[in-house]
Amino acid sequence: MEMNIIVSGVGGMGVLTAARILAESAFKDGFKVIIGELHGMSQRGGSVRCDVRIGDVRGAIVPTGKCDLMIGLEPLEVARSSYKMKRDGKVLVNNYAVYPSSIKTSDYPKIDEVKKIILKFAREVITINAYNIALKAGSASSMNVVMIGAAEGLNVLRIRESTIKEVIREMFSGDYQKINMRAFEYGLRYFR
Amino acid sequence: MRGARNPIFSREVGKKVIALGNEAIARGALESGIGVATTYPGTPSSEIGDTLNLMAKHFDFYFEYSVNEKVAMEVAAAAAISNVRSLVCMKHVGLNVASDPFITLAYVGVNAGLVIVSADDPSAHSSQNEQDNRYYALLSGLPMLEPSDPSEAKDMTLSSFDISEKLKEPVILRTTTRVSHSRGIIELGEIRGTNLPQFIKEKKRYIPVPSVARERHKVLIENMKKAREISEKSEFNFVLPGEHEEYGIVTSGVSFNYVLDSLNWLDFKVPVLKVGMTYPLPKKLISKFLHGKEKVLVIEELEPYLETFVKKIAFDEGFDVKISGKDEGLIPRTYELNTDIVASAVSRFFSIKMPLDLKEIYSKKEKFLDPLPKRPPVLCPGCPHRATYIILKKVLGEDAIYTTDIGCYTLGIQKPINVGDLLLCMGSSIGTGCGLSEVFKGKAKVVAIIGDSTFFHSGIPALINAFHKGKDMVVVIMDNQTTAMTGFQPHPGCSPSGKDSKNVVSVEDILSGIGLKNVAVINPFDLKRSIETVKKLSNKKGLSVIVSRAKCAIVLNRERKENGIPKKTYHVNEEACVKCKLCLETGCPAISWNEGPKIDPLLCNGCSLCAQVCPKGAIEVVV
Repeated sequence: MEMNIIVSGVGGMGVLTAARILAESAFKDGFKVIIGELHGMSQRGGSVRCDVRIGDVRGAIVPTGKCDLMIGLEPLEVARSSYKMKRDGKVLVNNYAVYPSSIKTSDYPKIDEVKKIILKFAREVITINAYNIALKAGSASSMNVVMIGAAEGLNVLRIRESTIKEVIREMFSGDYQKINMRAFEYGLRYFR
Repeated sequence: MRGARNPIFSREVGKKVIALGNEAIARGALESGIGVATTYPGTPSSEIGDTLNLMAKHFDFYFEYSVNEKVAMEVAAAAAISNVRSLVCMKHVGLNVASDPFITLAYVGVNAGLVIVSADDPSAHSSQNEQDNRYYALLSGLPMLEPSDPSEAKDMTLSSFDISEKLKEPVILRTTTRVSHSRGIIELGEIRGTNLPQFIKEKKRYIPVPSVARERHKVLIENMKKAREISEKSEFNFVLPGEHEEYGIVTSGVSFNYVLDSLNWLDFKVPVLKVGMTYPLPKKLISKFLHGKEKVLVIEELEPYLETFVKKIAFDEGFDVKISGKDEGLIPRTYELNTDIVASAVSRFFSIKMPLDLKEIYSKKEKFLDPLPKRPPVLCPGCPHRATYIILKKVLGEDAIYTTDIGCYTLGIQKPINVGDLLLCMGSSIGTGCGLSEVFKGKAKVVAIIGDSTFFHSGIPALINAFHKGKDMVVVIMDNQTTAMTGFQPHPGCSPSGKDSKNVVSVEDILSGIGLKNVAVINPFDLKRSIETVKKLSNKKGLSVIVSRAKCAIVLNRERKENGIPKKTYHVNEEACVKCKLCLETGCPAISWNEGPKIDPLLCNGCSLCAQVCPKGAIEVVV
């Protein structure tokens, strides 16, 4: 078994946390896991990518053309890493643009253009408005967990739903736990 | 999972947890029974120190964020000489700063284990160069181990302490960004107790005056021989057998992972020699591996270190084997490697077909993805450095030569701020400023920019030099009261207890102690007053120092959250806005342009800078 997941986004969106939830869950389900964090100076609004590799593999970075699933928290960042996709891999995109400060808002590619670009590398792109769902769950900052719920709802993760919930309960406490549990549930139900 | 909830703090022996490579090193040090750990933070090493800092609050050992790497090395060295196991960690360029005590420490040696961690940064993800610190092992004569993943990082840390004690020499543990910043499964072991300190006076060892140094050099060379014997038998140097006995691959560190994944991808089984102890190299093992082979590929990141020695061994043994790597251009000498690069090189060298047309994917990437807008790191919304830069540009102009330094404020070179003309290393702004001020003799305004932590680290000697030599320049100390870029570590200007001002070093006292008279402290968010102060000060001849002090925006936000204080945000009153774009000139990432300026309420930190630069008062507090 080999499953390669890439979580991509912008500093502050919870890319690393999402990757850790996935990895801890896969580990609890009995799989070998490695995470590669690409964040450089990400806390300053830069691109962040985190690769989660499940199964009998060694390198922490997903090789080109080997990614089974991309969980994209930001459209432009999804496009940027889309060359990593397996032809029949799935790309899940949060329809929430974060504008780089280096460009005018109008220079940001339209979501349909972004989709077209991603389709050059992967056959299936699924968009979701995780921002609205996260707000319903209680905080915009739970978009990352909404996306994990959505991926689980699509039945592409091969990790047990109960295990992910257990990990969320372990990783968060107080209000954050409640919000993230709701975010996961709402994401899960979106595609089910 | 911060603090005690982090599973790597567990005493449960045999428990398997997912840990960052850097956390695994800290755990290894804890299990080894360290008494002292020191560091100066620097990516990709920072989480080692941060983890040890948290561990020291729960376990019985001492940790400090030292003023710089040289002092960190000296503190740890003295502890290890006094029979207390110690660890000092730093980024690759940090070892340049610590290199003076480091080289002579090899002559003096230690008694309890001392592990020196050097975290190298191939691809220079967050560094000014991609130097290969394996040459520091050669230069110093000290043993070096290189882990491939978090699990091995922990095992090698434990083993390094034992080797260090056996040889009575420090051992270097070299990681790279990809090992330090990967998470993998590690198994927890027992936590050993610490030794009692003991110092036995021995002038002929600890005082390397020339007569002693000459004798100690011989001792070091004898120790290197013993180290080679350890390397020959080390469990970290091993051969994975394969089907094609006439071929072979030699590799080390993170490249080992790429080699195994590539061979799997290519479905090609070839013997692999993995070298984990890379200094001294296991000559006999390498020679045995090369014996009878026709073709060997050496796969390693950065410089052809292994390659050079493997070729030398083949030459000395008179083997007729083709050895390739960097010299033949198969493996690049710059940047990190990855499975794509390694698989392609293996495929070319051994004539194996690649299962995937990577070239086609790369050409599509170049055509469709490379033109996408970039997202470079920028100063955060509400960052005080942005305000300071606006003030400097307003008063000193764009023609002044700005020497800059290492920290978040280096990001001032990004547009539209665009300030920063020369940078070498930590603390270089003031030293290079002295040189510029000398050659231009007042014909160009020279401004040196330095952060608070960097000022303490290595700016002070240069400032003393500038004062003593009567240089004509403006020094700006950007004091955000933390070491922000590496993760908000404290420095000597911060309170050690976090509560009172006991043992806090005052920047102003240092300046007055040097004898500086032209000094002003400004709050950069009081734009108007700061501009006047800087104008007055910079008109004076000679050396003047501006301390621009305001708390880092991220730290401020965290404090607000902890204390339940809601953040203030600003918005644009569209009726009053004349679209002059002055607010955009601040380069604040919270402001974007969509037929007029828009402020993202999620990003805005309420610093008020844009409201202060707006000539029409069109930017208002959200109520």
